[in-house]
Amino acid sequence: MGIKLKEDGSSKKKILITSILFMGLGHLIFLKQYVKGLLYAAIEVIMLVMLPTIISKINGAISLGTPKPDLPVKLRDHSIFMLIDGVMTLAIVVLFFVIYYISVRSALASYKDYCIEKKFKSNSESMKGFLGKAFPIFGLAPTVGLIVFFVIVPLMFSALVAFTNYSSPNHIPPNNTVDWVGFANFKAMFGGNATWTSALGRVALWTLVWAILATATCYFGGMLMAIILLDNKLKIAPLFRGIFILPYAVPSVVSMLVWQNLLNGSFGTVNRTLMKLGMIHTAIPWLGDQWLSKFTVVMINLWAGFPYFMLLITGTMTAISADLFEAAKIDGAGRFQLFKNITLPLVMYQTMPLIIMSFTHNINNFGAIFFLTGGKPVLSDTTTTSAGGTDLLVTWIYKLTVNLMRYNYASVLAIMIFVILAPFAVFQFSRTKSYKEGEL
Amino acid sequence: MLSRVFKKINLGLVILFLIIFSLGVMYPLVYVVGAAFSPGNSIASLNIIPFGDGVTFAHFKELFTNTNYLIWYKNTLFIATCTSALTIVVASLGAYVFSRFHFTMKKSMMLAMLILQIFPSFVGMIAIYVILLRIGGLDHLWGLILVYLAGNIPYNTWMVKSYIDTISKSLDESARIDGANHLTIFWKIILPIARPIIIFLGITSFTAPWMDFIFPKMVLRSADKQTLALGLFSFVTDKKNDFTIFAAGALLVAIPFIIFFIITQKTMVTSFGTAAVKE
Repeated sequence: MGIKLKEDGSSKKKILITSILFMGLGHLIFLKQYVKGLLYAAIEVIMLVMLPTIISKINGAISLGTPKPDLPVKLRDHSIFMLIDGVMTLAIVVLFFVIYYISVRSALASYKDYCIEKKFKSNSESMKGFLGKAFPIFGLAPTVGLIVFFVIVPLMFSALVAFTNYSSPNHIPPNNTVDWVGFANFKAMFGGNATWTSALGRVALWTLVWAILATATCYFGGMLMAIILLDNKLKIAPLFRGIFILPYAVPSVVSMLVWQNLLNGSFGTVNRTLMKLGMIHTAIPWLGDQWLSKFTVVMINLWAGFPYFMLLITGTMTAISADLFEAAKIDGAGRFQLFKNITLPLVMYQTMPLIIMSFTHNINNFGAIFFLTGGKPVLSDTTTTSAGGTDLLVTWIYKLTVNLMRYNYASVLAIMIFVILAPFAVFQFSRTKSYKEGEL
Repeated sequence: MLSRVFKKINLGLVILFLIIFSLGVMYPLVYVVGAAFSPGNSIASLNIIPFGDGVTFAHFKELFTNTNYLIWYKNTLFIATCTSALTIVVASLGAYVFSRFHFTMKKSMMLAMLILQIFPSFVGMIAIYVILLRIGGLDHLWGLILVYLAGNIPYNTWMVKSYIDTISKSLDESARIDGANHLTIFWKIILPIARPIIIFLGITSFTAPWMDFIFPKMVLRSADKQTLALGLFSFVTDKKNDFTIFAAGALLVAIPFIIFFIITQKTMVTSFGTAAVKE
């Protein structure tokens, strides 16, 4: 095509308009990049052909189907499929506009090159440049695809379910449809329904207390063992260290299930042993009493979690320069002072990010609770809410989803976890090197 | 003189404390080993002293003849290997792009990944179930691998990206002058230097699927597609308690893990430390 372009940059507007008018048009008419232009144009053609489907899918997600009780179950509107399809379609549309944006930018960039070099790149040359410049696209395609369809779409869906009445027994497709209910679930959870509100308050508070206790006990427990093993210059220290690592090396599901059996109130080995030794006369309900079970899970978590911090703090402590200690000793500092003024601050500073990571991990520590207690013991509201004495928000979400099928309330909890954890994620982000250097 | 005696006593106390503490740490582990070799089924009937009732290999025999233990092991090994390999490829390639290229929306993509990684994947399990249903991934091992892979990417891409950021860009430049393209630079220069973090990534993404319970339970249905966590859990439910068989099965999982861990603990811990602190 013989349409001439000015070389002084004044044809920029033409390129911009044609590129926006139809994807790839600028490449085809002006820039002689036929392969690239056709690729872009093909994407837009496919989208246009699919347009009716896209609109109907998105409409479906907005309406969530109408109840058709007289139809056989198979033919009724399945609100949940409609919602997920709608969210997926929306994701595809967003991706399409991103590609559109990239295509316009690419056309403008090619024109800029033309103005500088005063000639078009040959097709093979431009393909080579394309492959080079498009490397980020190829490199990120799997990442973006997986994240969009297996992380973002599911999370979006979960967030949206919090605004519907998707719950057992009256709103489970395909028998019934699901409807949008606005903030009704939030109102019920935050004050509207006394049983659910008190359960939520209890579980949320325990989740926070648990995360703080679990992190603190493991950290200081690990630090204590690290110091004892380093400080006394024992020849057999590596042997002890090897033993102490064992709980960390055993997969946690295995160790938690073992503890659950050992601590069983009626036939567990721990109680039977203590009784044989004559130390107790009646069985201790390790995992059966509301308060004792909370104490027990923290202790068992300490058993499983202190080795990690022990190893880590050992590493950090051995890296502290000996000069520091020498200088302090000359100034007459005692062992405790050395620890308080040099070791502790340095170790704390170095391991701070890991303490925070461990805290966020513990908020979501599904395995430690689910396999040890299953969320038990049963409390007065457990039959209605399914939340037991040691349930965390995550294990409660799991129970609401799998046992009670109260998906709407489970989604409200997921949003709560987000609200609790998002500040930590942002904090982590602000600490990163690239953020500090202003690169991002 | 007195102070030396005092020191000796002190040392003795420390060693005594360490020994008692070690016994406490080892107690459940020793008990599981004992249970695996003890006659009987339920934990209620077990002797409170490990190995107190003699030694038997019956539970191992039962595992291999009457249960699908070998199939579970094979399935889990397959899932873990694939997840690990794919996570390395996808996350490190993505990390390389994020570290070395400037492109539209890079900042928002990175922030989005950081926020996404705070959610446990099962929060979206209903949607994941439907999506797998749509693409025919239910009751297939690859469906599960896909779920794990997607869940691994946000955090691990960040982690590897932070590491690649520390590798000097002049290395890339000189390779580019020699005519290397991006893929070659990634493969021949970046990956070898980033080896510590890649190994760490490989190990963590290999070990995680071994004991995951939620997704296998949701995705896998047929008897020949079960994983170890599902199988082991089925031995000690509320309804039945085959603690000895569970112990035997758990032992065969834990032993390779422990051996592997002891070999790699130094690298693991230092990488763990650097991975987080470097950021």
